[in-house]
Amino acid sequence: MTISKKNMKWIPWLLILPVVLIRGFTTVYPILMTVKNSFFNISILAGINEFIGFKNYLKVFSDPKVLTSISFTAIFVVASMILHVILGVILALILNMKFKGRRFLRTIVLIPWAMPAVVAGMAAKWAFNNDYGLINDFIRWFVPGYQNSWLINTGTARAAVIAMDLWKDLPFFAILVLSGLQFISGDIYEAAKVDGANGIQSFFRITLPLIAKNVLTLCIPFTLWRLTTFDLVYSMTSGGPGEDTALMAYRITTEAFTNLNVGYASALAMLLFVVMAIFSWLNIRVMNKFDS
Amino acid sequence: MKNTGKYNVYHGVVVVGRWVLFAVVAFLILFPVYWIFISSITPAGELFKTPIDYLPDHPTLESYKFLIQNVGLLSKIGNTVLIVGLTLVISTMLCAMAAYGFSRFNSKGVSVAFAFVLATMLIPEVVTARPLYEFMQKVKLYDTYPGLILLYISTVIPFTVLILRNFVGEIPISLEEAAAIDGASFSQRLFTIVLPLMKPAIATVCIINFITCLNNFFTPLFYSNGIQVLSVSIVQLPLRDNMYGVPWDLVSAMGWIILLPIIIFVAVFEKQIMDGIMAGGVKA
Repeated sequence: MTISKKNMKWIPWLLILPVVLIRGFTTVYPILMTVKNSFFNISILAGINEFIGFKNYLKVFSDPKVLTSISFTAIFVVASMILHVILGVILALILNMKFKGRRFLRTIVLIPWAMPAVVAGMAAKWAFNNDYGLINDFIRWFVPGYQNSWLINTGTARAAVIAMDLWKDLPFFAILVLSGLQFISGDIYEAAKVDGANGIQSFFRITLPLIAKNVLTLCIPFTLWRLTTFDLVYSMTSGGPGEDTALMAYRITTEAFTNLNVGYASALAMLLFVVMAIFSWLNIRVMNKFDS
Repeated sequence: MKNTGKYNVYHGVVVVGRWVLFAVVAFLILFPVYWIFISSITPAGELFKTPIDYLPDHPTLESYKFLIQNVGLLSKIGNTVLIVGLTLVISTMLCAMAAYGFSRFNSKGVSVAFAFVLATMLIPEVVTARPLYEFMQKVKLYDTYPGLILLYISTVIPFTVLILRNFVGEIPISLEEAAAIDGASFSQRLFTIVLPLMKPAIATVCIINFITCLNNFFTPLFYSNGIQVLSVSIVQLPLRDNMYGVPWDLVSAMGWIILLPIIIFVAVFEKQIMDGIMAGGVKA
């Protein structure tokens, strides 16, 4: 061996330092600045920069725009995740089916995942147009004369945003569930069939318990991604109508870059981060309990 | 033998059922994609037809021509290719080195560093946006190619390092030990033995990172202005003739320009992409 023990000590650091430094500098340093900024009143337009303690955080409770944003973010995350799980498992089962078109299906299912969210968002913006959009045109095949200004009314706009999020993201979730499905050996199903179990019983008694842990684990990163959805809102609705589809990530960047209330935006950002941290921690605890 | 008749009917129903499900899923995905395509070759005026004409009477490339001549499409494509390309090359080199370091050296510090890199995935872009923006301005990296590439690289580091490091763990260390006995130096071992063996994982990682980088919208939106990439351009297309807020002729054309390579890419690399996604999911 030509390498002395002394040299061995710094070799790993030489290898890993670039990556660690780049990552640290673009995430840890800025987040510390955000924490600091959240305790200051920073308004770039007015040229103010003064320490105000927790006032930014308290302002949240009286800001109707933020409260709307928080409520829709909660609705969005819960609705989208429930549908992710139900439809995702169904799609995974479909992708697992043994039939001739399987490879083709698995390819096209990657298209929504592989396209930029803003392309989907811009297309959706027009697709949901009342007169010339794809969605109403399609519905009119069945219900002639159907009219609905999807993105103008709050309820339907929110539904449309959730639907687009699912369209784009469901295949990705389903593929990950599929990887869990493929670990289940066919023998178990054969044995069950011999015992007289039909398809539905097989599913609920065999498939579901075996993939439950996998699905629940997937819910953690997917929920975090729902919490930080930005591209879709920016391109599809710009938060509208009014503020009703402004998810938190959109609200925060609007405050920080458009309204230039940096301190307030930082407080909002920290609130979002804390929610994500608490959620992750809670989830890991539940998973550990689930394990034992 | 008694139940053969019933079984065949049941089997038939199952097969038909499978094709129905397949058709539904395929339709939900391909129908909007097809709509984007035909919209892009429909003359702008005819886009205001209801019901939608799914087989355009006068297909035209006018929208594409407009994009090239008036919206600088070619330079935007060039920017995108340059940034994504350099990001892939540099990030793969840095992450492969780091993966080797994280995998072969198990000191406490190294393990902590690895956990740190993974943990940074929990910090969303929106929380780091404002300070990072101001920092980039201060060090004159805002709206520059190196600045953007640096941020793109940062985005792909955690996933890449995770996959590559796990892969290196599967390469038997005996190969390196044998080479060492034959007199190979450290860098010789790394470059001539380990790196070539990492090729499949590097391919997978590059394929997935290519998609990640192409789809990156937040970074070019907030950290550049003059340098335009495709993903940002599509939300900034000019409205012509007051088209209800969406210049659908241009949006569908640019959308298709982004989509077509992606569709081809996904079709060619379907297996590697599926493997890559599942590897990340199962091992993480």
